[in-house]
Amino acid sequence: MSAVRLIARDELRLMARNRVAVIAFVLLVLLTLVAVASAWSHQRNIAELRERNAHAAESAFDRQPDRHPHRVVHAGHFIFRPLGPLAAFDPGVDAFTGNSMFLEGHRQNTANFGDVRQSSLLVRFGLLTPAFVLQVVAPLLLIFLGYGVLARERERGTLRVLLLQGAGRGEVVGGKLLAVGTVAMLAGLPAMIGFALIAGQPGALVLPMLTIAGGYLLYLALWVLLIVLVSALVRRSLDALLALLALWVVTVVLLPRLAPDVAGAAVPLDNRLQTDVAIARDLRAMGDSHDPDDPYFDEFKQSVLERYDVGTVEELPVNYQGLLAMEGEQMTSKLFDQYADKSYNAQERQNWMVEWLGVLSPAISVRSVSMAAAGTDFAGHRRFLDQAEAYRYELVQQLNRLQAEAVSYADDIAEDPGADDRRRVAAANWAKMPDFGFRPATSAELARAAVPGLLMLVGWLVLAGLALASATRRLGWAK
Amino acid sequence: MISNNAVISLSEMIVAYDALPVLDGLTLGVPAGSITALLGGNGAGKSTTLATLLGFVQARSGTVSVCGIDPAIDPDAARRKIAYLPENVALYDHLTAQENAEYLLALSDQKPDADAISRAFASAGLQEGAWRHRLGAFSKGMRQKVAIAVALLREVPVLLLDEPTSGLDPAATADFNALLSQVRDRGTAVLMVTHDLLSAADVADRIVFLESGQVTDDVAADGPDRFDVRALHARFQSARGPVAA
Amino acid sequence: MGEMNLLKHELRLLFRQRLTSLSLMLLALLTVTSILAGIAEVDRQRADIAAIPAAQNEDISAIASWIDEDKDPGSAAYYSFHPTWDEPSPLAFAAIGMRDVSPYILRVRALSLEAQIYDGDTFNPELALPGQFDFAFVLVFLAPLFVIVLFHDLVSGEREARRARTLEALPRGGRALWRRRSALRFGLLWLVLAAPFTTTAIIENVGAAPIALILVTIAAYLFFWVGLAALIDRLRWSSVANAATLSAAWLVLVLIVPTLANVAINRAIPVNQGTEIAMANQEVVHGAWEIPREDTMERFYANHPRWSDSEPLGPDFHYKWYFAFHQNGDEAVAPQARAYRQGLEGRDAHARALGWVLPSVGVQALLTRIAGTDLTAQLAYQDRIRAFHERLRNFYYEYLFYDRPFGKDDFDRAPRFGSS
Repeated sequence: MSAVRLIARDELRLMARNRVAVIAFVLLVLLTLVAVASAWSHQRNIAELRERNAHAAESAFDRQPDRHPHRVVHAGHFIFRPLGPLAAFDPGVDAFTGNSMFLEGHRQNTANFGDVRQSSLLVRFGLLTPAFVLQVVAPLLLIFLGYGVLARERERGTLRVLLLQGAGRGEVVGGKLLAVGTVAMLAGLPAMIGFALIAGQPGALVLPMLTIAGGYLLYLALWVLLIVLVSALVRRSLDALLALLALWVVTVVLLPRLAPDVAGAAVPLDNRLQTDVAIARDLRAMGDSHDPDDPYFDEFKQSVLERYDVGTVEELPVNYQGLLAMEGEQMTSKLFDQYADKSYNAQERQNWMVEWLGVLSPAISVRSVSMAAAGTDFAGHRRFLDQAEAYRYELVQQLNRLQAEAVSYADDIAEDPGADDRRRVAAANWAKMPDFGFRPATSAELARAAVPGLLMLVGWLVLAGLALASATRRLGWAK
Repeated sequence: MISNNAVISLSEMIVAYDALPVLDGLTLGVPAGSITALLGGNGAGKSTTLATLLGFVQARSGTVSVCGIDPAIDPDAARRKIAYLPENVALYDHLTAQENAEYLLALSDQKPDADAISRAFASAGLQEGAWRHRLGAFSKGMRQKVAIAVALLREVPVLLLDEPTSGLDPAATADFNALLSQVRDRGTAVLMVTHDLLSAADVADRIVFLESGQVTDDVAADGPDRFDVRALHARFQSARGPVAA
Repeated sequence: MGEMNLLKHELRLLFRQRLTSLSLMLLALLTVTSILAGIAEVDRQRADIAAIPAAQNEDISAIASWIDEDKDPGSAAYYSFHPTWDEPSPLAFAAIGMRDVSPYILRVRALSLEAQIYDGDTFNPELALPGQFDFAFVLVFLAPLFVIVLFHDLVSGEREARRARTLEALPRGGRALWRRRSALRFGLLWLVLAAPFTTTAIIENVGAAPIALILVTIAAYLFFWVGLAALIDRLRWSSVANAATLSAAWLVLVLIVPTLANVAINRAIPVNQGTEIAMANQEVVHGAWEIPREDTMERFYANHPRWSDSEPLGPDFHYKWYFAFHQNGDEAVAPQARAYRQGLEGRDAHARALGWVLPSVGVQALLTRIAGTDLTAQLAYQDRIRAFHERLRNFYYEYLFYDRPFGKDDFDRAPRFGSS
């Protein structure tokens, strides 16, 4: 048996004799199992609830009676953001974003009913998920088990004995790395088993899952290196423990909270009121649909008349009201997109800043890897919002076209008591309208989104490895 | 055996941890202006004697008195009368000698006066250049000098010492013994526990042998040669039995 | 020899130790940073609120100018958005609470409120995810760690340095010394947290009573952790074991139990009504187009006889019918809205109950309550919106139901949020 494995075996035997360590380890395993079970069932419940709601909303839309298409535009449609299977592992921002949206004509609504506004204050203490356990709790356990691996030997003078007995410095450090690494693998195992169970679900993608597993592997490996490094550098095991705890608090607890504040202050977001008022202002500048003599709409009318080669709107083969609705929707939608993009881009800039602060905190990097590959980061939410808006526009324009083609202009502007019935379009049309289907990101897209975070982790790992190599060379020199 | 002017007096004292007696009917008196060495092997009960005098341990029976105070009843009052030097004098490494002295004096309810500290350091044999240095760089002997200077400054009637010369080189031991004689001459009752016969014979006025919690021998200094070290050594060896090294 | 003099010596001793002095400086830095971050956030919210009138006037005057031509009260009510806002309390800087994820500005129309009141404002979910860096965070999450750093080796450290016996043999040493040192460290920690907080709170015009209450809370919370450290210390373990045990306790009490409790509470009290309210409301509102208009009015008048002397509906579209079915829609889902709210309150109540046994949760709950940034405050804001919305409806109904023209000047008569 090689010296490395012997040293590792001794270290592991020592850990196994430490009752507190064993209890802590068992607790971590239990916590992971609870997290896997609860996050999974939570995800299943939410996914089912949203699917049920989505079906209810679709059938409510399709069941509408004969109606004027513009009524349907206003009756609107509820859509729901489905929750992918990987959200069971890392729900990411899901609790912080609304998951249902009301789509209607010439209005862009917010996604509502996010968990964060429906839960008690406890939700701000963090969510118990396998990702949380691996990101936050597992490193702490490794610290408790590993802070003394070298510092203790040095403190007790056994390090010198080991070196005098002919063990190479590299072998000693290698053995300790192997021991702490083994604990890290064991600590990560329950979460990965849970992960594998999730993988059994339909729709789980292999490449993102491998990316996530790889990300956590890098992260835990980094902590193993850091722990052995600090243990090699300091003189007393108490100092090693305190230094590692400080490192953990700063990188895992403090920076992830501080970074968003920095980003939020650097890139301010417009609030909804300001955006709504600005959109209204821009719309007025383009043309006033309420003003019959507005130059913009006058020009639009002329262009329509020219296109159909007629003199008045009454002579048009289609309903001018419908065309007007389409033009109005096109105008407002363009503005909505423009302002939404501005806000989303600002948010992406904020997230990008936070991601860069991952240079200071590997916990930020692993979080972004995990969320990005699980499709539960802001990009995943934006994907929903973008698709929702595209669907909204498509739906509303189809209804407007229906108004232009299936309702006559004369009926549309008539005010006699029977006009309301004449304006109605057959109910069969509603079921023909497309349903909203969320197109999740592809495997490759998800994996690609995780690359920056992975690179950041690799960078950390290389730096820590170099530092450990240099510390290894000097091991045992200091008194 | 017990003189009437004994500052420390123990009589028929029994101390036991759980059922195991550590001191079994110890009777001992230390008068003012004298040095008594309590000699014995490991587990003889030497340190327990000191702990009882300091009120850390309570006697099961018998009487304990420090300047007329029972430390079991009023440990703080007893401690006001006692200066105590444990085996390994550990002070604050990140404070200077002067600051250490000021701090320990403050904890002894005494006003730390810079002049008095200087005098005490000088008489303890501490080089003036070292007074304002942090203790981290001090040798064991130098630390002990700081501690003894504090003990001197406290001007208390009782000085308790636990293995004071262990780990000191011969020169430092000689310095220490000289200092101890000064303390005695000022009228302090000194009780030192040690397993170092030679050192005890050098400085003590009286040597009490302790074995399994009982006094096995009690020898007073006599004449200019004080003790017959050779004889003492033989008695000590026989008392400790053949097992002890 | 006074106790004060002894404390002076202890202070010197404490500050000569690099770990303790660095820790205290770091805590001071974190406290000040968190307060500045809180102030920045609250100032931003105040600035947003202060910017409402300008934006609102621009918006409304544009609407007023074309409404003024027909003077149609229905169009005025339909197109006019009215701002409401939830001004941060003077103490909000210390505990941002839910204010980063719940709207503090919401514009409403006299239409169905249930379709509007749950709307959110723009915020970046990834930034909100880790939680705010505010004073409450420093106190609840970080302060215990500093207690651990300062207390884990209070006695064991002296024992390991072999000084314990020397110190215990001194008349003012021993237990009195540990008490003195504990009190000093406790006092310093308290001061480092309390001084920046109190200074800021006074500048922000927080009342004396809330300040005093929070100062006591800080002390009590620190005291809990100091007590825990003292308990662990009695086991006479090594400093390393003390530090490890205390940080494990921190992990369990501050991170794990609250997250577990969150799962348990959300499981025990399911709250699914949110979307159901919105969907049901929408169904009732738009279903009105398919039923006889008289039925709608009848139902509306039955609940609101005040307007029943209005002229009967003519053959043409009339906005009073439109607003009536919107209000009917609200009333149809009122029981669900109540259940939804009760569900939220139930979850909140359970969390608060947990706060009685779990100090971390208790302090967070107390701070956000005093600062008016918790769920209760959010629901109170919703109540104010509801009351304001009621006034809006009544204001427009005066014109709608009696066919009074709505001119430019009438826009100025509209109720304003925050004044009654």
